[in-house]
Amino acid sequence: MTSLSSRDTALVDAAEPRVGFTVDGKPHTLRVPPTARLSEVLREGLGIEGVKVGCDAGDCGACTVILDGEAVCACLVPAARCDGVEIVTVEGLAEAGRPGRLQEAFWRRGAAQCGICTPGMLTSAEALLRRTASPTRADVEEALAGVLCRCTGYAKIVDAVLDCAADATTAPAVGAEVGAAVGARIDRLDGRAKVMGTDAFGADAWPEGTLLVRVVRSPHHHAAFALGDLDAWRRANPGVVAVLTASDIPGRNIHGVIPPLADQPVFAERVARFRGEAVAAIVGERAAIRALDLATFPVTWSALAAVLTPDDARRPDAPLVHETRAGNVLVRGLVRRGDAEAALSDADVVVEGAYTTGFVEHAYIEPEAGFARRVGDRIEVFACTQAPHMDRDDLAAIMALPPDAVRIIPSAVGGGFGSKLDLSLQPFVALAAWVTGRPAGVVYTRPESMASTTKRHPSAITVRIGAKADGTLHAMRFEGTFNTGAYASWGPTVANRVPVHASGPYLVPHYEARTAAIHTHTVPAGAFRGFGVPQAAVAQETLLDELADALGFDRLDFRIRNALTNGAPTVTGQVFAQGVGIRACFEALVPHWRERRAAARAFNATAGGPLRRGVGVAGMWYGCGNTSMSNPSTIRAGLGPDGRLVLHQGAVDIGQGSNTVVAQIFADALGFPVGQVALVGADTDLTPDAGKTSASRQTFVTGAAALRSGAALRETLLLRLNAGPDARLSLDGTMLRADDGRRDSASLDLAGLEPDAHGFVFAAEETFDPPTSPLDANGQGEPYAAFGFGAHLAEVEVDVELGRVRVLALICAHDVGRAVNPTLIEGQIEGGSAQGLGLALMEEYIPGRTENLHDYLIPTVGDMPRVTSILVEEADAHGPFGAKGIGEQVLIPTAPAILNAIRDATGVLIRDLPATPGKVHAALAAARAAGARP
Amino acid sequence: MQPFAYRKIHDVAAAIAQGAGEPNTVFLAGGTDLVQLLQDGIARPAGIVDISDLPFSSIATTIDGMRIGALAKLADVADHPQVRAHYPALATALGETASPMVRNMATTGGNLLQRTRCLYFRDGVSSCNKREPGSGCGALRGEDARAALFGASEACVATHASDLAVALLALDAEVLVAGPAGERSIPVERLHTLPGDTPWIDSDLEPGELISAIFVPRGAAGWAQAYAKLRHRASFEWPLVSAAVSLAVVDGMIEDARVALGGVAHKPWRAEDVETLLIGRELDPVLAREAGEAATEGARPLAGNAAKIPLLARVVSRALADAGGLP
Repeated sequence: MTSLSSRDTALVDAAEPRVGFTVDGKPHTLRVPPTARLSEVLREGLGIEGVKVGCDAGDCGACTVILDGEAVCACLVPAARCDGVEIVTVEGLAEAGRPGRLQEAFWRRGAAQCGICTPGMLTSAEALLRRTASPTRADVEEALAGVLCRCTGYAKIVDAVLDCAADATTAPAVGAEVGAAVGARIDRLDGRAKVMGTDAFGADAWPEGTLLVRVVRSPHHHAAFALGDLDAWRRANPGVVAVLTASDIPGRNIHGVIPPLADQPVFAERVARFRGEAVAAIVGERAAIRALDLATFPVTWSALAAVLTPDDARRPDAPLVHETRAGNVLVRGLVRRGDAEAALSDADVVVEGAYTTGFVEHAYIEPEAGFARRVGDRIEVFACTQAPHMDRDDLAAIMALPPDAVRIIPSAVGGGFGSKLDLSLQPFVALAAWVTGRPAGVVYTRPESMASTTKRHPSAITVRIGAKADGTLHAMRFEGTFNTGAYASWGPTVANRVPVHASGPYLVPHYEARTAAIHTHTVPAGAFRGFGVPQAAVAQETLLDELADALGFDRLDFRIRNALTNGAPTVTGQVFAQGVGIRACFEALVPHWRERRAAARAFNATAGGPLRRGVGVAGMWYGCGNTSMSNPSTIRAGLGPDGRLVLHQGAVDIGQGSNTVVAQIFADALGFPVGQVALVGADTDLTPDAGKTSASRQTFVTGAAALRSGAALRETLLLRLNAGPDARLSLDGTMLRADDGRRDSASLDLAGLEPDAHGFVFAAEETFDPPTSPLDANGQGEPYAAFGFGAHLAEVEVDVELGRVRVLALICAHDVGRAVNPTLIEGQIEGGSAQGLGLALMEEYIPGRTENLHDYLIPTVGDMPRVTSILVEEADAHGPFGAKGIGEQVLIPTAPAILNAIRDATGVLIRDLPATPGKVHAALAAARAAGARP
Repeated sequence: MQPFAYRKIHDVAAAIAQGAGEPNTVFLAGGTDLVQLLQDGIARPAGIVDISDLPFSSIATTIDGMRIGALAKLADVADHPQVRAHYPALATALGETASPMVRNMATTGGNLLQRTRCLYFRDGVSSCNKREPGSGCGALRGEDARAALFGASEACVATHASDLAVALLALDAEVLVAGPAGERSIPVERLHTLPGDTPWIDSDLEPGELISAIFVPRGAAGWAQAYAKLRHRASFEWPLVSAAVSLAVVDGMIEDARVALGGVAHKPWRAEDVETLLIGRELDPVLAREAGEAATEGARPLAGNAAKIPLLARVVSRALADAGGLP
């Protein structure tokens, strides 16, 4: 008999009921505490870590198992009542150690991106298929309605389940010829573990005896605090090993993603600046930590006056969040070209509007999790992250260690979308492991994750845009205030990126955009897919519709007329000779626009009920990589004496697919089959710095480094084999061959060669840093080496009585330069547009109020329409094989396209997001009162 | 989670005795709400009596209606052919409740007795008279977008979140209760209480009393019914506002009507004035609209929940239109 509490032998409760049940065909008998949930027992008692926990509240469905034939949330099932039941987990879906049919279909379809929801999706689908062998699409959507996915937009998941209907088949795997991996829909190279449920996320694969860390956080927006007798409290709580506070930090109690502005303490000292800020961490045996009543923790709070909005924060008498930042201003941003004010006055038509958006939560299904262990005088951290080398450097400073004494091993990352760029749990577990000498880990609770980690910046934006009667955009003024919360995080990046992008992908000769990031006593706002550009695009793109209407132009045609082209200056004065694909994106939408608008008009003409249909479009552009800053990636690759071809791939794959895409690029540059490439990393000990996974830079920047690395390795090999540049390289065991078709192939046995320090007999290491130039005082310069472009068309149906909006279709055209893996790109488009739909219609985080996944709503499968992806390939000269970034591009045009479609359907424009039924209804009522007839 | 004694009991009388005899003991059925309340430290019972094995899970047609066991799973009730055939409002309400997984776990009795979703009750720390009597009502001057429109008090503005209860109220259902003093039945209308100055009390049940079954009278089976619910996303969300209607229509004339509103009060809210308005008239879009407006009579909004009022009117109209087959 095993016991759940075996790892915490001091705390075994003799009153624990004994239960026997079958899991994946194997019988188990164990004692379980009455408080234990089935999810906990399966994971910790039986080691079945394929069962994922995303919310512990029945809201996300990641922990779904099949219990006596029914899909249930294991986190809501008391384990004590499971006597005699039969349970199937994701691990039971495999067939003889290989992916089962459903798992294979998920892999093939690209239905698993980050993989954290995959086990719950698979078990929910399996329960359906056992009940209904040939389900309809509606059946599948209904069965999956309780499993949240933040990456995929659900379409590929539904398709994968339908592939497993009794009368359907799964497509065979796509093979890629040598030199043709780029462009091929190959299966994700890291997909097997994701569909099998064996990928190790931050909460998985902890060493035996890992201590648990629990963080004590401020319950106030702004408060002074005093800690009491921590030693006495620790002694009074058996099983607690250590209590950590600011005074335990060996190095500096400050971190931040932008070093000159780093301002966030690991533990607050004397004053906590937002609700959810850490003030202490308790380390101890798992059962003891779980049983703690934090109400007894010796801390006394004195609430202080708090400012929660930029308006309040800018009042003359407002308390300062940071003494050194006058007016609570973190930074300001500016881009100015021409004379916007003067030009607006000589425009023929000017439109203007004021817009607001709230905090938006990333809502990845994996809450922050990981563990650290001390290895001699080094510390190793295994945790979810998007930026291992940045983590390493910040953590080294906190721990007063040299950077090479810190090893960051990114776990599989269950979604990031920007928030896992910042340090979160890493300092707590590192410090705990350092102090106690034992491995120490933490899994944030869902409310803790939501309360303490970064959000999308709330925005207040006013825009004026003017055009000439001939339909030419003439001038634009943009003013944006962003609530950056208590600490800097990526606030400066948002403030600097937005002015560069707020024009949209158009030629705007006279332009002025000003931004300010304002501190408040709220959770820090940081990076979230688009860095402020989605908020700006809502204002700019909806005003373009009003402008087109005022001038009497077709809304899409108006955009095409004004779209940037090769050779035309951007608002920062940058001129691209090539690679500007926005016009092609708009043009790709033209037939759909005509067809859908005609259909919507026809529907409305005959609609007797409350439903009205409308169609909207919006465009976008987004610079790949850091703004006017160096952001190199380095890729190392080599051949071992055993004939193993290894790619050190340090670009963290958070589900978007960099493991696969970077390998595809590398394989083609080298001239080997992609299937022969073995991936190592990411791991700061093993992989060179490939930068952070953000700013849509991994395909573009790291991919370019991989291209160079592959080409360099190829050149070395060809030289050694004395073969021509077109020779075909191959490996047979340890024998390397080059065949250029003209004479006998040259060959070399790698086994006899002396390996280098990395174990390679031939190696290459190459770096790519996209060329940019600094922006001057007016924001003029070359901020990016390339932009990605795109345009979305949304068709919506508005219930004008209830204010409810249903998106019927999204058609998304994106200029990706070169589609390295179309399946993965479609996955980005479908998933990013789901987040855009959430931004438009339902998502708003209220600090202290919506800290869970039932009060904070993200789209479910039923909220997503069919998404059609149109891939435009306007190759970029810097991009590997012409490829550009796609990760953030995909979210930006969705919300404005939906808002434009609502306006098309009803005549009302919602300028305060999200467009909930209450707001839509109120706007319609106001329009009716004003005499309009929606 | 605070430690507690756990017992699984297979005998009704013993369960009642445990529930009545031990102070601060709660019954655990499907667990979808209680497990969460325990985890969040909102429920802190000394003992838990697991009643999931009591013989209360059958769904049966009787001579005078339907008897739905209190331990029947929501999914099983929603899929039951007799329910679908005769009580479409009930089937719709259950089909739109929570998620498929939760419906596979949650019971009808537990659904009726779920605690409020008020953010201030659920966060475990804010002022909340329901959770911490005397601590005040945080929602009253806080995030009140989902707060009650009817029957609230200074002490509590929380709403009841059940879809099922609203449909049952419109169907004139009763709950059958077993307790220390024997069995009794309570009309759904009287099962839940208004907050008054005792908002910590949600229902009329005495300590030790258990819901054993729900009885839906046969009369309702012949009535035109519908359940309409408004929420922000397509699935898995409690109602912002909802309405269940049940109409006895003879030769086009409404002879009798029951109208229940959800998401607007501490209990499923019966709109008797709307019923009176409907009776004796012929259902058409104009009447549906008029009835919707009438349903909002007497609504007392707070600072941030007035947006629910017009939506409630439309939802009632929509439910009537659906029931009457209007466009």
